Amino acid sequence: MAANGKHLKHKTVRLTKADHVFNVVVDIFMIFILVIIIIPVWSTITLSFRPNDYLGSNLEGMFLPPWEWSPDAYTALLGNDGFLDAFLNSFKILIGGVATALILTIPMAYVLSVQSLPGRKIINLIVIIPYVFNVGMIPTYLLVRDVGLMNHLAAVFVPGAISTYNCIIMRQFFIGIPNELKESARIDGCSELQVLFRIILPLSKAIVMTIGLYYGVSFWNDFFNAMLYLNDNQPLPILLRNILLASGMNEYVEVNAFGNAPVSAIKAASVFMSAIPMVIAYPFIQKYFTKGTLLGSVKG
Amino acid sequence: MSTLKTKGKSKDLVLQRPLKSKLRREIVRHRSVYLLALLPLVYYIIFKYVPIWNAQIAFKDFKAIRGVVGSEWIGLENFRTFVNSFYFWSLLRNTVMYSVGKLIISLPLSIVLAICIYECTKPGLRKVVQTLAYLPHFLSWVIMYGILLSLLAPGDGVVNDIIKLLGGKPIDFLSNVKAFPWVVLFSDAWKEMGWSAIIFIAALMGIDVSLFEAAMVEGANSWQRVRYITFPAIMPVIVTVVILKLGTILDAGFNQIFMLYSPQVYSVADIIDTWVYRQGLLEFEFGLATAVGLFKGVFGMILVLFANWLSKKLTENSLF
Repeated sequence: MAANGKHLKHKTVRLTKADHVFNVVVDIFMIFILVIIIIPVWSTITLSFRPNDYLGSNLEGMFLPPWEWSPDAYTALLGNDGFLDAFLNSFKILIGGVATALILTIPMAYVLSVQSLPGRKIINLIVIIPYVFNVGMIPTYLLVRDVGLMNHLAAVFVPGAISTYNCIIMRQFFIGIPNELKESARIDGCSELQVLFRIILPLSKAIVMTIGLYYGVSFWNDFFNAMLYLNDNQPLPILLRNILLASGMNEYVEVNAFGNAPVSAIKAASVFMSAIPMVIAYPFIQKYFTKGTLLGSVKG
Repeated sequence: MSTLKTKGKSKDLVLQRPLKSKLRREIVRHRSVYLLALLPLVYYIIFKYVPIWNAQIAFKDFKAIRGVVGSEWIGLENFRTFVNSFYFWSLLRNTVMYSVGKLIISLPLSIVLAICIYECTKPGLRKVVQTLAYLPHFLSWVIMYGILLSLLAPGDGVVNDIIKLLGGKPIDFLSNVKAFPWVVLFSDAWKEMGWSAIIFIAALMGIDVSLFEAAMVEGANSWQRVRYITFPAIMPVIVTVVILKLGTILDAGFNQIFMLYSPQVYSVADIIDTWVYRQGLLEFEFGLATAVGLFKGVFGMILVLFANWLSKKLTENSLF
């Protein structure tokens, strides 16, 4: 659902000088934003392709023609077992996390959306209280340690497997589905499970994709839980953090094997590689999330 | 039609039977809903309520060997230590400064961006800006740190290249106490500006087009339309966003600061959350760190509830 300046289509009145100035100002601001967003990304991308024998400054490097770029940093990263392992761990966390989160969030959101349910207010309260009253990281850390999740990949996603915020957005969407549909299914003898799977879910593709994306992004990007709970089997953000914090690659032993690409190029390349799955998935899911977010934010 | 029928039926039943059995019948009718709720509720009890139970160590002298329940009660000792310490005010000041600063910088930017996206007459430009502006929201702060390094590194960052080109002295942005807060504020604006604009775009999409037509017939130009139609239309949303933001004023962005800061800038960078992390998980002062977390939790709760109430009252929008 793109904003499309709908109202402008009706413009049959001749544009005044003020209107022209307005349009130019809008365009200039849009181009300004575009440039502001692109420059940092471009500087990282060009840095990642910097050849080892490059002598100029990084500013000049941004204008280095592509035929002088070098893929050394990428071949070094892709040939490194540590990097591939981290990538695989991140993938496991992503898949396991999104599956767990949706299996828990969808029923919770649905239950909260059944208006006629006796005790709905109590369940609602159970969900809202921890959301409003956040006791911080230490008590959760103790819990994860006590239930024996330490050093399991699941420790990264289980503590955040239901985000109450996501649950509320989803509930709001479910409530918006016309009651007649649910009621007539119930009268036809559908159980609540069947109502959920046959009526609600087929109508909720946009919101499920959106919330799935939110979860996916948060698990893929997580470095804090991974840092707290995992000793080995580390996912990509941890490896990336170690690479970035190493001032010379020699400080970081596993990166020592990264061949002869420049240190800063390897840093930039690993930044880019970590971002790439998100960047690839993004356009496919974008249409859903814009729709889902808009629907979620317009509260009935 | 079918709803009407059931309504009539249940009314008859209410007349025939006592209230209790109606409730029982309703509960039985919804039994599969409760079944659906079972797993998520067990999850809530374990992963959201056990931590609240664990938070009692804020009032205890926590010893790992004795566990949460076995440790000795020491009353408000941990809270006293925190409130009387020299870092109390600096933590509070930094936390509030970053929250408010981010709002002041990002809010006008995202409002203007939303209006520009809505008003832009070039579909290509609009589409590109919209897509690219949302994207940084999905990048982690680890990735952001990598991007910032390529820009701000003292020796070879692009920004310092420009400063040197202009004849200035290079600045070590990430370890300079004067520069660091600005890096935090502007990198956050860069990352979240587009995403924050979405809610305003949603509000703009809801404007009745006939208002613009009427304004045009009356001879209003684009500036006047923005001033008298577009802006007033998103005003309630702006109020809601500001109020709800004030409710989370003690959350200044742990991930961001944790990734960007270093011991040289602790004095201006340390917020409550980063301090809790270091004190609790690096220094093993679990009791003290939990007390600070709880302090933040209680104040956060009061603020959120107040903000929610205020927002509901002023704009009829609320979180829950």
